[in-house]
Amino acid sequence: MPLNKDSLPNTFLVATVLCLFCAFVVSAASVTLRPLQLENAQKDRRNNILQVSGFTPEEIEESGGIKKVFESRFDVEIIDLDTGQDAEADCQAAMNKAKDKEVNLGEEYDQLWASKLNPDKGLSEKLDKKTDVCGIKSREKFSEVFIMKSSAGEPELYVFPVRGNGLWSLMQGYLAVKPDFQTVVGLTFYQQAETPGLGGEVQNPDWKALWKDKKIYDDGEVKLAVIKGNKAGNAYGVDALSGATITSNGVTNMIDFWMGDKGFGPYINEMKKQDSSQIKTEAAGGNNVK
Amino acid sequence: MSSKTSAKDLVLDPIFNNNPIALQILGICSALAVTTKLSTSLTMSFAVIAVTACSSAAVSLIKDRIPSSIRIIVQMTIIASFVILVDQVLKAYAFQLSKELSVFVGLIITNCIVMGRAEGFAMKNSVSDSFFDGIGNGLGYSIILMVVGFFRELFGSGTLFGFTVFTKQSAGGWYEPNGLMLLSPSAFFIIGIFIWVLRTWKPEQVEEA
Repeated sequence: MPLNKDSLPNTFLVATVLCLFCAFVVSAASVTLRPLQLENAQKDRRNNILQVSGFTPEEIEESGGIKKVFESRFDVEIIDLDTGQDAEADCQAAMNKAKDKEVNLGEEYDQLWASKLNPDKGLSEKLDKKTDVCGIKSREKFSEVFIMKSSAGEPELYVFPVRGNGLWSLMQGYLAVKPDFQTVVGLTFYQQAETPGLGGEVQNPDWKALWKDKKIYDDGEVKLAVIKGNKAGNAYGVDALSGATITSNGVTNMIDFWMGDKGFGPYINEMKKQDSSQIKTEAAGGNNVK
Repeated sequence: MSSKTSAKDLVLDPIFNNNPIALQILGICSALAVTTKLSTSLTMSFAVIAVTACSSAAVSLIKDRIPSSIRIIVQMTIIASFVILVDQVLKAYAFQLSKELSVFVGLIITNCIVMGRAEGFAMKNSVSDSFFDGIGNGLGYSIILMVVGFFRELFGSGTLFGFTVFTKQSAGGWYEPNGLMLLSPSAFFIIGIFIWVLRTWKPEQVEEA
């Protein structure tokens, strides 16, 4: 070989060329595959939303796939968690600023990502120790809410994205509730890494089925919890997972936080107010006709 | 190893005669982590075969240019690039599985088998030999993964590839799943038994006490 491969120049040459080449290959793969990956992630989240709302995989298949069912049955609202008001425009503005371009909210708004931003960006806020019961440290300002509508346009159920720390991992999932904001339809996790067979049983369909028809609030306070030795027929309790106390507590704290004042509480109050004023106006309208 | 070794030997030898896990006891960590289910074991097997084969071939291709002072880091860079490629491809085309495998695809980088073959074989042998050697060692790793995955899924969950074989008591059947099988230590037992059986069959693998 003409060039001494152990010489200093050659060492630098090989290191530089190799780094550039590998960096190029890796970034090319990442860029070209990204749209597919995003689509997969979205499809997976939507699939979870559909399942927590009570659609079986067979039903989804028959009605033309995840995308079609989701888009025909669900409305996506973006709300301000503090006020509970619709805040799509605010979120859009903050996102455009944070990403420095025109953002497609439906595809690019990632709540977990937003929650970890610096609060200066206007997309997140830090939580203090007392309010942060589920250990997430900071919370996004805007959240998506998925509303399933009947063919008449009436809301049939609301799906809230929720998350909280278990033993090992951040558990991310969806909680579906009826429009009375009191009755649970289902709870599911699309991302968790608890101990398989113990805490991982949060994904067990039999355990998830226990959540159906449980009640959330008692006199304005979140009462629904995962309880060890839960009494049969307790509408506010779900049996704890055996051998997984910390995971079970994590789920309780998660419900407590996200259904409470720092979570979707303001939104729920807002919706209830609107509902009751609607009933009043309808009642008033009825009187006029009479 | 002589350069006359045929491709067939290179591929088949590491499966039983010179198995990277059973004889060389390399790559145990990931063998514990991903084997609770057969589907994840199988995906992980393909990922490791692809990474070992491609990185060995790539290392062999540039072996005459790699300065010995930085050879390990050069090998790591090549391996890491292939691992990221595999991870990206899995996320794009097998999303559900890549979610279950989570960090363990990324951790192929630290799998001693890949590194061991790059340093121990590819640095001295031709590109095609290194490629086949990589496939062989990947297969050797895979066979253990599949065996461990088979027993852990069957006895831990009563299923194989997600299909119910033993109906669990909780679903109205007779089978009480063995919780230990879902935890990592059970993989040690199964690998241990595998090594015992293998060395009874091929006594030349027994180390002298």
